[in-house]
Amino acid sequence: MSRGRAMAALPPPRSTWDAINPLRLLGELSETRYWMYLLLLPSALLITAIVLFPTVYGFQLSFTEMRLNRPAGNGAFVGLKHYQRMLADPIFWLSLRNTAVWVTFSIVIEFVVGLVAALALNRNLPGGKILAVLILVPYFLPNVVAGNMWALMLDSRVGVINDILVRIGLLHEYKAWFADPNTAMATAIFVEAWHSFPFFTLLIMAGLKGIPADLYKAADIDGAGAFAQLRLITLPMLRTIIAAAVILRVIGLVNSPDLLLILTQGGPGRSTQVLSLYAFQNAYSDFNFGYAGALSVVMFVLLMLFAWAYIRLSKVNQD
Amino acid sequence: MATLSIKGVRKSFGAVEVLKTIDIELEDGGFLVLLGPSGCGKSTLLSIIAGLEPSSGGDVIIGERNVNDVHPKDRNIAMVFQSYALYPTMPVRRNIGFGLEMRKVPAAERDAAVQRAAELLQIEHLLDRKPGQLSGGQRQRVAMGRAIVRDPDLFLFDEPLSNLDAKLRVEMRTEIKRLHDRLGTSIVYVTHDQIEAMTLGTKVAVMKGGVIQQIADPQTIYEKPANMFVAGFIGSPTMNFLSGTLERSGGTIVLRHGEALLALPGLEQDVGAHIGKSVVAGIRPETFHPGEGQGTLTGTVDVVEPTGPDTMVILSIGGQLLTARLGSRDRPKLGDTMTLAVDTAAINLFDPDTGDRI
Ligand SMILES: Nc1ncnc2c1ncn2[C@@H]1O[C@H](COP(=O)(O)OP(=O)(O)O)[C@@H](O)[C@H]1O
Ligand SMILES: [Mg+2]
Repeated sequence: MSRGRAMAALPPPRSTWDAINPLRLLGELSETRYWMYLLLLPSALLITAIVLFPTVYGFQLSFTEMRLNRPAGNGAFVGLKHYQRMLADPIFWLSLRNTAVWVTFSIVIEFVVGLVAALALNRNLPGGKILAVLILVPYFLPNVVAGNMWALMLDSRVGVINDILVRIGLLHEYKAWFADPNTAMATAIFVEAWHSFPFFTLLIMAGLKGIPADLYKAADIDGAGAFAQLRLITLPMLRTIIAAAVILRVIGLVNSPDLLLILTQGGPGRSTQVLSLYAFQNAYSDFNFGYAGALSVVMFVLLMLFAWAYIRLSKVNQD
Repeated sequence: MATLSIKGVRKSFGAVEVLKTIDIELEDGGFLVLLGPSGCGKSTLLSIIAGLEPSSGGDVIIGERNVNDVHPKDRNIAMVFQSYALYPTMPVRRNIGFGLEMRKVPAAERDAAVQRAAELLQIEHLLDRKPGQLSGGQRQRVAMGRAIVRDPDLFLFDEPLSNLDAKLRVEMRTEIKRLHDRLGTSIVYVTHDQIEAMTLGTKVAVMKGGVIQQIADPQTIYEKPANMFVAGFIGSPTMNFLSGTLERSGGTIVLRHGEALLALPGLEQDVGAHIGKSVVAGIRPETFHPGEGQGTLTGTVDVVEPTGPDTMVILSIGGQLLTARLGSRDRPKLGDTMTLAVDTAAINLFDPDTGDRI
């Protein structure tokens, strides 16, 4: 205290050393508005290195010839060649359609089941805490584990599901769920929904905690029934969190081929071929990174369009 | 409009007994204030009246109807919450009309009712805004609008003013009183603010620990508090408690506090049985006057606090501190010896063991 005052009373020392003392210069810089940018610099560099660079590289790849099994001509700029090929590629269009089916049905089922589970768990019934943990278990399983587990359970020779269904009389004989083009996609969607609905449960439960209890009391007195309360209070109040969850989940569903890779590899035939899987196969079976890059860019653009449209339509940005 | 009877209502949360046998009668068009410190069970009682919380026993009767098993929406009540509980995603117009909307009142009729309520509360210009775009006072008005639009039998208010700043609180208090005079609907009003209770209530129930300490009109609560808790809870600055022994001296009764003697002529209470025993005299600060009188107290001036209209003088009498509210021109000096006359008819005597008024 007294020392500080004594120092303040002295005129600021001026010497050559002072003029070049880095600590002092840093101290002076910290008083200016440029300091802010200096502090942001490390994270800006980091983001550039790990986000921006790969993205730009992916875009660049899609305009380049890059086939690892045919090194001649690699790295050459080929303009829109990959995109032109894509337009004429029936597998691309089939994959696009399958992706739409895969994402739409998965997201709807995951959202509805996740919402119902969250609403049930939010009622603080006895045993609810344990149930909450149990319900979240599927989501903690890695895709690889969940996929292999269900592949085994649905197996046409030793699968326990077939056994149960036959025993209760719903099936006459064991069924190869992933070998039939009519059931492969639906079964895969079932496994996906089982695996990921807890993601919605978790986020919606967090959202529900943020809705004031008084709103429901007021609605009780106003005469709103359970369904009206869900429609007019709960869902509107969860709008932001649902939007975030849906967008995150759609990104995951569009981009991750791992579950389908384990369950069906896109088969039988091409009945479960989706874009991410197609891009993956182009890159790692055909080693055609240029075409895979172009497919990824299309997925990226579609996702951006989806997120933009969804945010507009769900009015998340209002109030 | 309707009467309200609460008969033997109890409430426990698990092993914790929050309300212990509550009995209240409210006349048609009356204004009942539930007053008490935080946690005494006021909101719980209000929730039971509303039907939002089941009671553990007893009856709630609105009008002639026992509503124990009636859903909140069918009790014909309206409630204003401390948090206002406006629906954040709906504009004000729909917020106010929501109860009518849920009751399938035709849109035209609903709009007219919303318009009337909005005019009454002077919030017509806010009807198309969302609650998030309103100030605290405006939200408060919308919450009131939502309550009055339904023309209920009974209004329930749970600390409706406690989220407002001091000035707005006084304004809205006046407004609520005016509204009650105009609409004539019975009101149950929860607050921990004794001024709100005194200014608004036709009947005040002072609660503590889930028990009603006293239920009476505000004047009785103020002048004849049933016990030391009520006496101390009402009034600001709080009532002075001067302990002493009752003695009979000649024809009059006298309170002896150490060296000090306070004659108590005109005492309303029958204290015959307490002569020679210790009692606590409750003396309100405003019953002191400078100068001589039938009963006087003399002490040294300890603190002087001018407040503008009044001067609070804290006197030390035999080691006990008493607050006197004197005129703004009475400015004794610290350490002075001062004699004050007491309006002894306004004194209440309490039993020090039970705390009850004798
Ligand atoms: N849902 C509940 N579960 C358990 N205890 C509760 C519950 N609601 C209120 N209480 C308890 O009941 C008592 C009275 O609460 P409340 O009626 O809110 O008091 P007040 O409105 O007078 O401040 C408090 O001690 C509170 O902790
Ligand atoms: Mg309360």
